[in-house]
Formats: sequence, structure tokens, C-alpha cells
Amino acid sequence: MSQKDVDALYERLRSEADSGGYHLNPEIEFTKELVKGLLVNETRYGYPACPCRLSIGVKEEDIDIICPCYYRDADVSDYGTCY
Amino acid sequence: MNIEHVPGKNMGHLMLYALSTCPWCKKTKGLLNDLGVEYDYVDVDLLKPDEKARTTDTIKKWNPACSFPTLVLDDKKCIVGFKEDEIRNALKSKA
Repeated sequence: MSQKDVDALYERLRSEADSGGYHLNPEIEFTKELVKGLLVNETRYGYPACPCRLSIGVKEEDIDIICPCYYRDADVSDYGTCY
Repeated sequence: MNIEHVPGKNMGHLMLYALSTCPWCKKTKGLLNDLGVEYDYVDVDLLKPDEKARTTDTIKKWNPACSFPTLVLDDKKCIVGFKEDEIRNALKSKA
């Protein structure tokens, strides 16, 4: 996976987040690490599971932690950010 | 199991359960490296299925949510998440 892949997904997610009323973490270096984790998981499991949660590796069982995950809105309400 | 050992100042046994893909885990490793302390870590997502199951059972004893990073100090105390001040204070109290 190249930096170009990371940058491209970052831009796509930024655009999607903005149009949905969300904002990516302005700490770009940190956010790009997250994006890289999503790409690693997509390659590894076939779907972009949250890089900060442990995947089982079976899509049906990980469905709740595929980004954007089921817990995003609750976390954004509680902490102002997703996990 | 693939437990990595990071040499440094002995502040008791520090065991970090992490994910290779998680930036918060990376920050926690970075903090421990900056503090120059000796610790062990395992990237749980890289383990084989049977090792992963055994390790998550161990983590759940400390942190039932099995979230990451989970740092266990001396098999006595557990800090969940990248809580920089809490980690610094816990290690300071052992110095």
C-alpha cells in the first residue's frame, strides 16, 4: 500500500464526512495512520474494519465494527470523537 | 506467542496489549519508548487464531471490553486507552 493510496482514501473520507456533517480529526498525521489501518484491514479481511478494534475476520461477525461503525454516533455524542 | 520485548529501565513488569493498525496503540508504545522503560507488547491482531483467543481471554480479565491499548502493570493494575497522564503518574509512583 502506497502513500498515494492513503492520501486518496483520506480525501474521499474527508469529503464524505464533511457532506454528512462530520469532520475528520484535524491532526492529519494521526488521521492518516487511521486511514492506513483501514486499508490494512481491507486488504487483510476484505472490509475496512476499525483499526482500533479487534476483528474476528468474518464479515458477518464484524459488521458492527466496519467503518463507519455502529458505535460512531454514540462515541461522538459522549466523547466528541469516534473511538 | 509473539511477545516483543523492549529493553529499558526496569519499572516492574509492563505488558501492553495492542493492535498493529491502531494509532492510539502506536502513541502508547511511543510514550513508553520516550520514558525509556522496559516493557513487553503483543500486537493481538497479528496472532494466530488460537493465540488470539487465549490472549483476548487474558485481556478480558483486566478489561472486559477487550479494547485497545490495554496496559497491565505488574499484574496488578490496568490502564485502558492512551491515557498519557495516568501512565506517566503510574510509572512515576514506581520510580
